[in-house]
Amino acid sequence: MSATTEPAPTVARPPAGPAPGAGAPGPRPTTRRRPRAGKVALSVLGLALSLVWVFPVYWMVLSAVTPNARLRATPPSFLPMDFTLANFSGVIADSGFLGALRMSLMITGITIVLVLAFAFLAALAISRWRFRGRASFVLAVLFIQMLPAEGLFIAQYKMLSSFGETAPVLGLNSVLGISILYTAMLVPFTIWMLRGFVAGVPAELEEAGMVDGLSRTKAFLRITFPLLAPGLVASGVYAFLQAWNEFTTALVILPSESSQSLPVWLRSFLSASANRGIDWAEVMAASTLIAVPVIVFFLFVQGRMTSGLVAGAVKG
Amino acid sequence: MASTTSTTSTSGIAIRRRRRPATPYLLLLPAVAVLLVGLGYPVYWQVVTSLQEYGMLQQFGAPPTFAGLDNYARILADDRLVPVVARSIAFCLVNAFLTVGIGLGLATLMRAVHGWVRIVMQVVLLLAWATPLVAAVTVFRWLFDYRTGVVNWLLVQLGFSQADGFAWLAQPATFFLVATFVVVWMSVPFVAMSIYAGLTQVSDEVLEAARLDGANGTQILVRILLPLVRPVLAIVLLLQIIWDLRVFAQIRLLQDGGAPVSETNLLGNFIYELGVGSQDFSGAAAVSIFVLLLTVALSAPYVRSLMKEDAA
Amino acid sequence: MKRTRLTAGVATSMTLALALTACGSGTDSGDGGSEGGTPEAADITLWLNGSDTPDELRDFLVAEFAEENPGSTLTIEEQDWEDVVTKLTTALPDAQNTPDVVEIGNTQAATFTYAGAFREISPELYAELGGEKLLPSFVEAGSIDDAKYALPYYYGSRYMFFRKDLWTKAGLEVPTTLQEFGDAVQELRTGERSGFALGGQDWRNGISWVFANDGELAVKEGDEWTSTLSDPSTVKGLEQWQDVFAQASNLPPTQTDEAYWEFLNDPEKGGEPEGATIMAPGWARWSLGDLTKNDEGDEVRDGMADTKKFDIFALPGVDGGVAPVFAGGSNLAVSAKSQHPELAESLLRIIYSDDYQTMLAENGLGPANTDFNEVMAADKFGEVAVETAEASKLTPAAPGWAAVEGAKVYEELFQKIAEGGDVTALAAQYDEKLTPMLNGQAG
Repeated sequence: MSATTEPAPTVARPPAGPAPGAGAPGPRPTTRRRPRAGKVALSVLGLALSLVWVFPVYWMVLSAVTPNARLRATPPSFLPMDFTLANFSGVIADSGFLGALRMSLMITGITIVLVLAFAFLAALAISRWRFRGRASFVLAVLFIQMLPAEGLFIAQYKMLSSFGETAPVLGLNSVLGISILYTAMLVPFTIWMLRGFVAGVPAELEEAGMVDGLSRTKAFLRITFPLLAPGLVASGVYAFLQAWNEFTTALVILPSESSQSLPVWLRSFLSASANRGIDWAEVMAASTLIAVPVIVFFLFVQGRMTSGLVAGAVKG
Repeated sequence: MASTTSTTSTSGIAIRRRRRPATPYLLLLPAVAVLLVGLGYPVYWQVVTSLQEYGMLQQFGAPPTFAGLDNYARILADDRLVPVVARSIAFCLVNAFLTVGIGLGLATLMRAVHGWVRIVMQVVLLLAWATPLVAAVTVFRWLFDYRTGVVNWLLVQLGFSQADGFAWLAQPATFFLVATFVVVWMSVPFVAMSIYAGLTQVSDEVLEAARLDGANGTQILVRILLPLVRPVLAIVLLLQIIWDLRVFAQIRLLQDGGAPVSETNLLGNFIYELGVGSQDFSGAAAVSIFVLLLTVALSAPYVRSLMKEDAA
Repeated sequence: MKRTRLTAGVATSMTLALALTACGSGTDSGDGGSEGGTPEAADITLWLNGSDTPDELRDFLVAEFAEENPGSTLTIEEQDWEDVVTKLTTALPDAQNTPDVVEIGNTQAATFTYAGAFREISPELYAELGGEKLLPSFVEAGSIDDAKYALPYYYGSRYMFFRKDLWTKAGLEVPTTLQEFGDAVQELRTGERSGFALGGQDWRNGISWVFANDGELAVKEGDEWTSTLSDPSTVKGLEQWQDVFAQASNLPPTQTDEAYWEFLNDPEKGGEPEGATIMAPGWARWSLGDLTKNDEGDEVRDGMADTKKFDIFALPGVDGGVAPVFAGGSNLAVSAKSQHPELAESLLRIIYSDDYQTMLAENGLGPANTDFNEVMAADKFGEVAVETAEASKLTPAAPGWAAVEGAKVYEELFQKIAEGGDVTALAAQYDEKLTPMLNGQAG
């Protein structure tokens, strides 16, 4: 967690290059500020807000470890009682869960890689070169995001089905097919996000490396790439969340029960449960299980993500 | 300020570097290819279908007939469209500004609090951010359940006895209140963290200097911090507006809990309901194109200024 | 929470299916297999909706199919009722990926039948599968003139489940007319308890009041459907329902028809149940009663074993007898694009076999073949089920019906009525909206 508090500005802002004005670079003095009277009050406010914000998550996890019969107790208990993991085993025992988990992990993994690779190259092009068609490309990228996706299902289905006739790996129910749809949906925003980072790394740095005898590739890998890593991480987080959560396209494009992704599985789990009175405890356990991989991923990339947001944010 | 800086450095590079003009196109190739593969046909289909008569029979093989702009005329004359558009725009603006406002508040708060409180806040935001959409909506549905929800129980404890058995999702007004809670709850983390990240870029020397000059907290916030994060705010707000205009799954999943559907539909839901729900695929396509044009028109001034900064 | 478990079979048959479609798709065209001979071995897919078909029945189908068609396999996939129209709309026209046999809500069957989604069931096959004995109203929902496309799968008409202890305590008897029923449930209502737990958007239960008063939702004249909500009989039924909702139910007007049994069971938190009466399809029985452990040690309801506490009756008609209620249930059809129609028909033969029809009836699902109603009528649940089914009615078999359901028009109308709206005005307003939709004209 400590990485959070140190957003490593030196990574986001390389010392070379023209002085970038406001976001003045350089090591930050770690001297403590004068303690202020209001700080305590603000800290209390911060904690109170955190409490409000975390409540839904807390309630989800709390319900997941409580037997369903106890959930309806009045007054509701705000602390765990009759702690149980039975709800989780109930979820995992459901025939669909593990398959859906594997499916979602694969889709999300492939999507992140494709999105980052393609968007990075495009961001490189638009932030380092002026060329004919550049402005139209940037505009197109922005506007594509404005197209409502809810009317596209039929066409997406038809398209993947016809892909599937020649190449089953790209067809319906395939990991790759839906990953490509997700990539197309996410690439525009990611380009938009990454161009700020790429513009923030002066090309002079790389050239300096080449003067020192590195090849172009090596100069790029050793100098530019590490500086871009936070940006890639921040964009990757975004792509991860989108691909992990997407629900309506997956419903249509992955029609087979054996290729459901997690959100689709959760919804059918919920409605199967609704038919006999919602078993909130198990539904909450399922929700918690779906959130876990995201949280693990977040913790994994945490330090880099914050510094990534820094650079991306300031560049806008 | 930051934007000026960035453009000078970018154009500086562009001038000094001379490459074969083919390189940028090669770099764009994968992105353009995946956009064409993934979205090309669906968008083309959307445009063509909006100009045809295309319903259930056509979906099952009957040749569609060309209808010109009939679908657009029909949709624009549909008395459901205006309320849906108005509702969507209102919902989008309220949520986007609320999200950015709360995000800004939390970000400045994070600057001002003790270190460990900041970590707590960041972890909490991260948790909210990480909660998958279907799960989040499910939790909120339950929190606001009219019989077993904890919100009603708390309100009753606080003395609002009319909250007993109150069905939040039953009236459009309270339905959208709950929907706003969900959407804001889920979107604030991204905004707060981005703005906070921007704020940390303001060096302590600048603030120290300001303080020595006698500026108080509010003045520092308004005069120094806000102008510095203005570019971040601008981009985050634009993204929120684009995203909040497209809110779909949250509404649909909440509607499953029992709600007056036609009075709570937003644009995405309206399109879905027209298309897959009512098998009026050409109408749905026409609305989609209409929404695209509408969004482009609404955001045009904003986009133009962004492009100007970019091109300068 | 138990969903279908097809265990490892699913995985293997999926791979098999891929392999087979990959090499077989070039050779067999629309009509599949050679005429007369045994059909080419393949894997076929059956889509079943929700968890209504018990596991035991699914296992039977898979085993029986494999036995009758050596080398071929059957894969059953479970679809969500909420999304089934979406998925059928995209998958059925797709020759490569269409499920071979699909279950479809009886009210949605007409739309897909008119669109040409299903393969015609030849008169010979129809006769072989049961012919005239198949539930006529369901057959009609899947027919165009004399040609049959979708056949009944199972039905479940709705009847009343009630807390006998509460009714008895209030000194009430099983009602014999619809008015008596309304009065009784009104009397049973308290601030904490619905006399009749009924959601406002629940038109599937609500239309029983329309039917009971000889009203219709829509009628067909020539080739045109007309919504007839403004018909005086319909209005009368709607007003009577409005009255019952207002006087006897504590549920919000927006509540749909989910999980009423929660209201009838003893609450887990203790205290009195939240409802004295509910209306639900017969299979609701297994969600009712006291908690008990099953063989696997899971907590389940005992299926209303305590007859002093729980009982059932058929909704009485306006002048006594049994009110015509809405018959829920589903149809089965072979996809027009199925690559293996002969195998699909072989599956139909298994489903309409005596064995399977008996199993349906034994599990409380109204059998498609009316001969097996007797099997179901073995106990009081079956008796009431058959009794109500005989009096039951279907929603109009109009081409646009699925669109009407998809847009949730009746949910909205009933919600507005439940909120106390003027029935005559609402009826006129919704007639205007519904008539073009019923005829398959958009908007």
